[in-house]
Amino acid sequence: MTIEMQRPKEVSQEMTEVRVVDSDIHPSPKRGELTPFLPAKFRSLFENRSTGAGSPVYYDAPDFAHSFAMRTDSFPSDGNFAGSDPDLMFRQVIMEAGCDLLILGPLNGGGQTEEEHHAVAQATNAWQDACWLDSEHNWHQRFRGSIVAAMEHPEAAAREIEHWAGHPMMSQVLIGAELRPAWGDPRYDPVWEAATRNGLPVACHLGRGQHNELPMSPVGFMTYNHDLMVSYSMLAANQVMSLVFDGVFDRFPDLQIVFIEHAFNWLLPLMWRMDAIHAKRGPENGLKRKPSDYVKDHIWCTTQPLDMPEDKLEFTRSLEWMEADKILLFSSDYPHWTFDDPQWVAKHLPAHMREKIMYQNALQVFKNLPETVPALPGQKRAL
Amino acid sequence: MATVDEIAPGEHKVVPIGRWGVGVYNVDGRFYAIANYCPHEGGPLCSGRTHGVTVVDPEVPGGAAESRAGEFIYCPWHQWGFELATGTTAVKPEWSIRTYPVRVQGSDVIVTA
Amino acid sequence: MDPEGRPVIDASVHVFFASDRDLRGYLNEPFKSRGYPDVDVAWFAPPDGVRYAPGTQTDVVIEQQAFGQPVQRVPGHPGSDPELVGRQLFEERGVDVAVLHPMSNAGILPDWHLGTAIFAGYNRMLVERWLDSGTYADRFRGTIRVNPNDIDGAVREINRYKDHPRVVQIGLPMQTQHPYGRPYFRPLWRAAVEAGLPVAVHIEMGVGITHPPTPSGITRTFSHLAAYQPMTFVWHLLNMIAEGVFEEFPELKIVWADGAADMLTPFIWRMDSFGRPHLEQTPWAPKIPSAYLADHVYFVHGALDGPGADAEFADDWLRMTGKEDSSMFGSSYPDWQMHSPDDLPRAWTPEQREKVLWRTAARLYGIDIPVPASA
Ligand code: FES
Repeated sequence: MTIEMQRPKEVSQEMTEVRVVDSDIHPSPKRGELTPFLPAKFRSLFENRSTGAGSPVYYDAPDFAHSFAMRTDSFPSDGNFAGSDPDLMFRQVIMEAGCDLLILGPLNGGGQTEEEHHAVAQATNAWQDACWLDSEHNWHQRFRGSIVAAMEHPEAAAREIEHWAGHPMMSQVLIGAELRPAWGDPRYDPVWEAATRNGLPVACHLGRGQHNELPMSPVGFMTYNHDLMVSYSMLAANQVMSLVFDGVFDRFPDLQIVFIEHAFNWLLPLMWRMDAIHAKRGPENGLKRKPSDYVKDHIWCTTQPLDMPEDKLEFTRSLEWMEADKILLFSSDYPHWTFDDPQWVAKHLPAHMREKIMYQNALQVFKNLPETVPALPGQKRAL
Repeated sequence: MATVDEIAPGEHKVVPIGRWGVGVYNVDGRFYAIANYCPHEGGPLCSGRTHGVTVVDPEVPGGAAESRAGEFIYCPWHQWGFELATGTTAVKPEWSIRTYPVRVQGSDVIVTA
Repeated sequence: MDPEGRPVIDASVHVFFASDRDLRGYLNEPFKSRGYPDVDVAWFAPPDGVRYAPGTQTDVVIEQQAFGQPVQRVPGHPGSDPELVGRQLFEERGVDVAVLHPMSNAGILPDWHLGTAIFAGYNRMLVERWLDSGTYADRFRGTIRVNPNDIDGAVREINRYKDHPRVVQIGLPMQTQHPYGRPYFRPLWRAAVEAGLPVAVHIEMGVGITHPPTPSGITRTFSHLAAYQPMTFVWHLLNMIAEGVFEEFPELKIVWADGAADMLTPFIWRMDSFGRPHLEQTPWAPKIPSAYLADHVYFVHGALDGPGADAEFADDWLRMTGKEDSSMFGSSYPDWQMHSPDDLPRAWTPEQREKVLWRTAARLYGIDIPVPASA
C-alpha cells in the first residue's frame, strides 16, 4: 500500500479521535543538518573528530552491513539515514501503520564531557523545533518532541528543560540510560525538579554513559548483540530499584518516569522482589509506601519490544498480574529494526487493557496531547 | 507472470497476485515464489535480502561459515529468515510463509496461486 | 520432614570457619601469614547489624588475638559447628538432608594463588569436619569450592574430590571478570561434567576484584543490593546459552544458588523472541534459547523468591518456564534471610511442593531419601 502525498499539505477541517499514541519513534538529522544548531565552540571540534571516522558499532544487529539495525524499507531515497525524512516517517508510521500521534525521541549521541553532552542536547532541541515541529514539517500536527536533557550536567539540563517547557509541541524530557550513578542519587534532583514543576514526564532511552564505552554488566561484557540487548533490561530494573529505594518518588511525588525500549515483563517479578525485601527489612530510607505502589503510580514502560512466550496465555496472565494497564504505553520504535506494528501489538493485548495501553495512558502521561487531531483522508486506523 | 530473462539468477520480481503481491525468485536457475507478506508482524517480506544460513565450521577463522547462499529470504523488518523453496525455517518449522508452485514453460515463468 | 510429612532437602546451607584463626590453621605458609579480608566486612552490611539468624552462633571458641593482645573467648561464626548446625537443621527445622556450601571471599581475591590456597583449606575443612566425621555426617552433602581465576588449579581441585561419596557439587562465585559463557571457562565445565557434578554459582562474600554490582555502579541502600545482586545470574545464563556452552556440554548442570528464578521467565521470553533473528550469529547454539533450560538450569528457591506466600496464582507462575522442575528449596541457613518450608506459597500444588522440597534435589544430587508411605 502506497499513499501519495502531495505538497503543499492542507489540514483537514474534520477532526478525528486519537486512538494510537506512539511513544518511541526516532527522527535523525540529514547529513550536516544538526551542525548549525550546535554552540559555535563545538562545531569545528565535532566536525574534526568525525573527519575520517567510520562506524562505531560494536554490538551488531542481524545483517548489520546491509540493515544498519534499521527497518530496511525506511531509508529515504535521497541517501540520508533512516528516520531523517519527515514525509517518509509520516507516510510509513501515520498513514500506513496507523499511529495518530508520535512522540519523537531523537538519539543524536552525546559527548566526551558534560559540556559536550549538554551542547548536543541544546542543538537537538533547537533542531527538532526547526526541522520537525515547525508548521511546515508538522503541518499535520501529529509530531511531538522531546526536550533532550544531559543528565551528565544536571544543572544545565534543568535550565534546558525550563527553556523549552511550555513549547506546545514538546511533550516530555528525554534522558539516556547508562549514566552512573543510578537515578536515585540526589545529584539528579534538579532535573526531576524542573520536569515536575513543568508537568513533564521524564523518559529514559537506551544511551551510552561515560563510565564504560559500552554497557557493562556486573560480570563483564556480553559477547553478542543477542545477550547484550536481552540483558539491557537489567539496567532498567536497577534504575527502578534505585528510584524506589532511594526515595525519589517521596522527594518528587509528581514525577512520572517512562522507560523506553527496556522491555517490561521483568517488572512483574521485580515488584514482588522489591516488596519481599521491603517486608523483610522495613523502610531503609524511610519509604512511605510499598515498592510496587510506587511502580504503579510513577513508572511507565513502552511496549516495544513486545516479548512473548509461545503460550500466549502465559503472556496475557502476566499482564493481568502486573496490572499492565497501569504501566504500559504503546510504542513502535520506528525506524529501528525492532519496529512493532500497532495493529499487531493491539491484537496481543487483553481487550479491556487495549485502549488504555494504545492511547489513553499516553493522553494522561503527556499533558499536552490533544484528544482529537485533524483527520487525514486515507489514513489506516490501527484501533 | 514473468519471462525467464526478466529475473536473472539472484534477482527477484514482485508480481501482482493477491493482496500483497508475490515475489518470484531465481536462485541459480531454480524459480521459487513466495507471498510478499511476513507472518510475523506483516512486513513486506520481498523487500528483504536473500542470503544463506550460518553454520559452524571449525576449520575457518571465527568458526562460522555461510551455507546455501541465496536460498533464504530475510524480512526487512525483524530479519526472520525463511527458506525460499519450502517457506519454513530450521529454528521453528511451524512459523512458515506461504509459497506457490512455479514452473518454467519455454521462456515463461508461471506461478500457480 | 515438613509438617505434612514430606521429606525436605535443604539445598542451600552455608558453612564457615569458626574464625580467621581457625581458617589460618588450614593454610600453609606463605599463605598462612598473608593478609586477606574476613568473610564478613562492614561494606554494605545489613544496617541493623544483624547478619545472621538469631541462635545460629556457636558457643565460644578460644581466640589468640594479634599484636600481643591477651587470649580471648569469642563466639564462633554461625554455620561453623557441625554438631550445632546438624541439631538445628535435622532435629529442629525438619530437614532430612542438607547440601552445604562453604562461604568465602577467595574467589574474588586479586591474588589467584592465595585464592586457590584458601579454597583448598575450605575444602579440606568441609570434608574432614562435615562429611567424614561427626554425628550428622551421613546427612550432609558438600560443595567443593574452586577458583575461576585459576582454571588449572580449579580443575585439579575438582579432580581431587570428585570421587568422595558425599561431594555432590562444585561451587563458583557469581561475581566474575567475564560472563561464564566465555571460552576461557570451558575446562571448568569439562571437569565438572567428567566428574558428574553439577556446578552451583553463589554470591561470594564481601567485595573484591568484582565489577560494581549493578550496571549503574554501587547501590545506596542495603535493601537494593540484597534484592538486586541475586539477579546477576541473568547475564551469566544468557551468555552461556548464546555461547553454546550447553550445546558443547550436554551433561552440564548449573545451579543458581542465590535464587531469583522468577527473573528467568521474562528474560527467557525475551531471549526467545529476540533469538529468531539473532541465531544466525551463533550457529554454535542453534536451538531456541528456552530449549537449553531443561536439565541444565536449576535454582535455589530463597526467601525473596516467588509472588509471595499468599498469591493465588503462585502455582501457575511456578509452572511457567519450567520453574516447578528447576527450583529447589534452600534455607540459606544461617543467613539473616533464612526461611523455611512454611514460607513457601500456599497455592502450590502438592506435586509442586514435593518437587521443590526434595524431589528435584534428590534427582540432581543423587540423594537417596526414604519416601514415607503417605507422600
Ligand atoms: S515482520 Fe517480518 S520478521 Fe517481523
